[in-house]
Amino acid sequence: MPGEELFYLSVSELAKRIESKKLSPVDLTQVYLDRSQKLGPRFNAYARLTPETALEQAKAAEKEIQRGHYRGPLHGIPYAAKDLLAVKGVPTTWGAKPYASQIFDYNATVIEHLNRVGAVMIGKASMIELAGGMGYRFASASLQGEAKNPWDTTCWTCGSSSGSGAIVAAGLAAFAIGTETWGSIICPSAFCGASGLRPTYGRVSRYGAMALAPSMDKIGPLARSTEDCARIFAAIAGHDPKDRSTLPIDRAAFTYSPSIELRSRPLKLGWLTNAWKSLDPSIAKPVDAAARVLKKFFPNVKNTVLPVGPWEDAGGIIVAVEAAASFRSLIRSGKVSELSDPLGQIAGYVNEQYSAADYLQALKVREILQKKMEELFDSFDVLITASQPVPATPLDLNLETGLVFPDPLGAIGNLCGLPALSVPCGFTEKNLPAGLQFIARAGDDIAVLQAARTFQQHTDWHKRHPKLH
Amino acid sequence: MGKKQEIEISRREFARRAAMISATASLAPANLWGAEVTGPAAQAQQPPTPPKLSPESQTEADSRLRVILNEYGSRFSEAQKTDLRRLCSEAQPGLDRLRAYATGNGDEPALYLRPLMEREKKPSPMPAAAKPAVAPKKP
Repeated sequence: MPGEELFYLSVSELAKRIESKKLSPVDLTQVYLDRSQKLGPRFNAYARLTPETALEQAKAAEKEIQRGHYRGPLHGIPYAAKDLLAVKGVPTTWGAKPYASQIFDYNATVIEHLNRVGAVMIGKASMIELAGGMGYRFASASLQGEAKNPWDTTCWTCGSSSGSGAIVAAGLAAFAIGTETWGSIICPSAFCGASGLRPTYGRVSRYGAMALAPSMDKIGPLARSTEDCARIFAAIAGHDPKDRSTLPIDRAAFTYSPSIELRSRPLKLGWLTNAWKSLDPSIAKPVDAAARVLKKFFPNVKNTVLPVGPWEDAGGIIVAVEAAASFRSLIRSGKVSELSDPLGQIAGYVNEQYSAADYLQALKVREILQKKMEELFDSFDVLITASQPVPATPLDLNLETGLVFPDPLGAIGNLCGLPALSVPCGFTEKNLPAGLQFIARAGDDIAVLQAARTFQQHTDWHKRHPKLH
Repeated sequence: MGKKQEIEISRREFARRAAMISATASLAPANLWGAEVTGPAAQAQQPPTPPKLSPESQTEADSRLRVILNEYGSRFSEAQKTDLRRLCSEAQPGLDRLRAYATGNGDEPALYLRPLMEREKKPSPMPAAAKPAVAPKKP
């Protein structure tokens, strides 16, 4: 049995060993599969494992590397894909009973990109049913049940990329692919102590991914470090004629190399003072400490505020209307009643009722908001705040009758398609991770990567992992 | 604003969002405002207080519910109908705020249409103009 540390090595570290032939992709895949088989069910982390294809891919990678054809840092690296990404011949359930036997005969573009660089898919990550598209009241709103947080199995990983968060935190794969419409990469990253990148809208093709709110859906990695996120992002970004929302070739593509720091620019950082109404004291402490670290390495950090407006209302209407359209046949047929969550069974009917005029008003507000954010980004390259104001929440919490907080930044970031990255920045007294979030102008993903990487070069929170037995 | 009021507003806000928002961290922090959470039973099923609406907004919310029940009424249990009534009411304050936000005739909605370019079109079933209108038939 390999040492626990192997499972928490970063992609960059694994890649070095694979390239130098000190680590076999087949052996690495096998030990991750063994660990996933053993520990995956404990966290409800996977929708399914794909050992046969994984070992096939790993053997192919190994053969190529032995022949001297090394494709790059993801070659032979095992990963998991959220179960809303189509993988040819493998059930893709979207986490929901009505789609439990759905099988596509093609791969999502993201999967194709990862195949091309030689990454090894070892399984499909569990998720909230329909990525929460019909609303949900409980963490258990998933075909696999509630995803349990490896830091504390009485707590949730957050959704909807719930399995992706558990997989990375428990060291069941080197990285996982998640998606975000509103919070679903940033929150699981924060709750699970992972580094998670929500790329600029349009940089990563959604072809073959379940559509939820097409004007807001994005795909990105959850991994062990900012550098890993950058490497994975470089592999999956790019224009795709099959997803007409992707940016043109020159704006969608992303290139990363460790020497990127040499070309880095001085960043103007803005510390957001109104992103959260208040922080839980257990989160405030590590976040304050993180702010002090940042101020040391970015001397010109200044406080700033988000514009105020009905951004959450606009975002809510847009997601509701687009989700109702995406799942129209599910609602109209009545099969929505097969969803496991009581809220999910009925909320779609309400979402169907919004008028086109209200939807267009929300889109007008979105345009106004984009201009306001552009003005803010004239003064700052990167905005920073806590990823979430609270640590991981209890598994059995009723999300509807529990408490909640306004989330203007989640609305703004997702309405405007802004890149964001969450990195771990400390722990609560109960040993739950706290996250720090970096946000930049659309297209300036490199700025969030640069700022977060600088933070991680001077901290080691991202190197910690839960003790699993 | 007192703590109690904040909690009530937050609950309403959440219920509205939970119904409308997807793919999101439907977070319900137990300790954020210092509220006591004693376990699943205590959290369980206290329905959120419906928002107080103006008569016009209440009428709109009621009419939304009526449309749903007219179209799909037989699908719902009584408990679900009660839930739907609440969700319809909770959707209203967000709509009211959104509509109250000043936008002008010249403000463009963030719609983005990319015209389908020639190269992205599927092959046309019609013969191209440059080709003969009728291909010679093989014997």
